[in-house]
Parts: sequence; structure tokens; C-alpha cells
Amino acid sequence: MTDINDDKLLQAAAQLDREISPQRDLWPGIAQAMHAPQRAGWAPMFAQAAAVVLLVGASSAITYVAVREPQPQLAQIAPALVFERASFGSNHELGDEFVDARNALVAAMNVELEKLLPTTRADVEANLELIQEAIYEINQALEQEPDNTLLQQRLLSAYREELTLLRRVSGLTRDIMMRNDI
Amino acid sequence: MKKLLVIVIGLVFAMPLMAEEVDRTLDAAPDGEIDVSNIAGTITLIGWSRNQVEVTGTLGRNVKELVFERDGDKVTIQVKVPRKGDRGTNAELTIRVPENSSVNVSGVSADITVEGVRGVQRLQTVSGDVETESFDNDVSAESVSGDVDVEGNKSDTETDIRTVSGDVTLAGGSGIVRAGSVSGGVVIDEGEFSRADLGTVNGDVIFRAGLRKDGRFSAETVNGDVDVEYTGDISARIEIETFNGRIRNCFGPEPQRTSKYTPGLELSFTEGSGDGRVEISTMNGGVSLCKK
Repeated sequence: MTDINDDKLLQAAAQLDREISPQRDLWPGIAQAMHAPQRAGWAPMFAQAAAVVLLVGASSAITYVAVREPQPQLAQIAPALVFERASFGSNHELGDEFVDARNALVAAMNVELEKLLPTTRADVEANLELIQEAIYEINQALEQEPDNTLLQQRLLSAYREELTLLRRVSGLTRDIMMRNDI
Repeated sequence: MKKLLVIVIGLVFAMPLMAEEVDRTLDAAPDGEIDVSNIAGTITLIGWSRNQVEVTGTLGRNVKELVFERDGDKVTIQVKVPRKGDRGTNAELTIRVPENSSVNVSGVSADITVEGVRGVQRLQTVSGDVETESFDNDVSAESVSGDVDVEGNKSDTETDIRTVSGDVTLAGGSGIVRAGSVSGGVVIDEGEFSRADLGTVNGDVIFRAGLRKDGRFSAETVNGDVDVEYTGDISARIEIETFNGRIRNCFGPEPQRTSKYTPGLELSFTEGSGDGRVEISTMNGGVSLCKK
């Protein structure tokens, strides 16, 4: 490459934006796509809407359960378990209600984890990290393709999986312990 | 004489520290409910032809009480332990129950094994394996850190099997199955299903069984592969999508790229008259769809 070409290239590069923001938020795209004609057979928008409803439903249910049940003594949340916010498209984030419910479940689970064998505790923590890595990985991919329905569904599934795990560990352990403790 | 006295006194004081043998029996309803909970150790349930529940085994030195009681059609077996301290609280229990009983078994650090029990089963543990046989009634079995194995007898049932760190396997089941793991695999082997919902985060999903004419099959993973080998004919609308994984389809049609800029693939076609529905999606895993 000649010096002249290099200069042109540098000039062109200098004119590029230093920060590239995603072109648009995902949700208007979803709304638009839901009104668009359906593809035969495969209904990603229905699946997507169902996933969103599920997530909202799960969030509400978890909030209800967290509020209804006696709150355990709060334990410190391990840094590895800190909530990984989702960013659908440019700036969508899951609501505060969801985050609060999720944090309450993490706190409840940490209390129950203390009662388990160290190996089980390590297993649970390793699997939570694995889900969070998956969430991070999907989010990374979503930054490249914010409108990708498959990624959106996988992200919602991963969040659901995480909430299910938190609820199961704390619920199972607490229920069984309470039945057998004297 | 002095020596003998020392030995006798020693034995008296040592008795509470030793494991206690258990051998107790109660009459029970032929198709009643059996509720078992044991925090640590093993729980083995065996179905038999008598209308009795028999509990045998050993209780750790710090087990405070074995509750074994009947209330109507329900028999409760609970190993009570002190709130604090986990040493010596193990109980190794073998429980024989009327074969048509429904069972509800829970443990924390306990393996659960069930043989020959034909009623509804609900089995759950936190750290331990669960192994059971299913007959004509529904089975729900879950662990957090452990494997879950169910052996079916091809009767139509609803089977729900889950773990977090471990594999789940259903062999010879039929009807409806829901199975999931986070880091382990899901294997469905043999049988014929009207509905199968399978999912993992990192584990592989293997399905080698039949899907009925109007059946619905769904498999989802983030990083695991999905390997489907249908036994018998299949009639379904099939939709497969990956974000970054290959698709191998033995039924003919080739997958298409979802975008010219990304490695994602999708495949959509109808096999037979398209009565059922197959949906498979993964992010980074590969998908193989074939017929045995």
C-alpha cells in the first residue's frame, strides 16, 4: 500500500464515529414485527411474546413468593452472583422489580447454601456462574444482532433457568430442613 | 472386677454415640400415601405385595428421633435431627411399602432409590442421585447436585426429571417427558412420546425415541449439542435454528444461513403430513436430526 493510500485510509478512518451505538432499541422492533404477517408454521414473534410474558409472570410470581414467605436473614451476596443486567438492543434493561426479587432469592439461597455440604455448595455456585456466563455470552451476541429472535429467546430462557435454580435450591433445602429439624 | 466395672460404665456412656438399628412395621393402606424425609444418608424404597410398611436400617448417633406413624391412608417416616450440627445425622433406610402406594420422598444429602413402586412418585434431593422405575403413574424426580435416572415400562405417564449438576436419563418411558439440566446432559432413550420438552444450558440433549403423530418435541440449549434420532415414522413440521452451530439433517432439506454476516443456520420443512411439531434451537451447539 502506498503512502497516499495510507493517508486516505487514515483520513477516512478519522471520520468514523468513535463510538458505535446500536441503531435502535429492540422493543419497537418486536412491536412492529408482531403486527407483521406471520411466517407459515414457525411463529417466532408468538414465541417471543410468550417468553416475555413468562419472564414477567415468573418475575411477579417470584416477587409474590419472596414477599409472602418469611424473609431469611440476609447473607452477603457473593460478588460472582451479582445480577448481570440484560441489554436487549441499545438500552432495554429488566425492571427493578425483577432485580429486587432476584436479589431476594440470591440472599435466601445463600442462607440455605450455608447448610449444605461444601461440595454441593461449590456445585450450585459453579452452575450459577455457568448460567451467568451464558447470559453474558448471549448478551454479547445480542449487541451484534439485537433483533435476533433466537438470542432473545435463549436469553429469557437463561434468566428463567437462573431463577428456577435459585428458587429450587433455597426452597428444597428450607422445606426439608424445616420438616426434619427439632 | 474393677476392670469389668470400667468396661460396663464405658459401654453405658458410649451407647448414645453408636448407630442405632431400626426394624419397625406398620399396617398400611394398599394404595395409600407414603411420605419420607431424611436429611442425610440413603433412602431405598421397595414396593411389595403386603399392606404394610416396614422400615429397616441404621440411624446415626445424633439422630434424635425416627417418626414413623400412620394417619388414615398416609404413613409418615421422618428422620429428625438437631437444628445444629451435621455429624452423625445420617440414616440409611430401606423402606418396604405396598406396591401401589404413592410416594413423596425428600432428602438433602441423600441418595434416593425406588424399586417396584407403582403409584405416583415425587422424589427430591439436593445433593444425591435419584434412581427409580416408573409404571402407570406420573413421576417427578429432581436433584441439584446429582444424576436422575428413570427406567420406564413404556406405559403412558408424565415424567418430570431435573437436575442442575448432573445427567438426567429416561429409558423406556412413554407419554409426556420434561427433562432439564444446567451443566449435565439429557438422554431420552426408547419409548414413544406425545410431548417432549428438553433443555440444558451446557449439556447435550440426546433423544432416541419415537414421536407420535400429533406429538410435540422441543429441545433448547445454549452451548450443548442436540442429537435426535427418531425411531419409527415421523410426521411433523420441523423448525431448527442455531446461532453458531452446524445442522445435520438426514431427512433431506439443507439448512440455510440466517444471515450472510453470521454463521447462524435455520432449517424448516415438513416431514410426512406434518401433524406434529418439532422445534430445536441452540446458540452454540450443533444439531443432528435423523431417523433410526
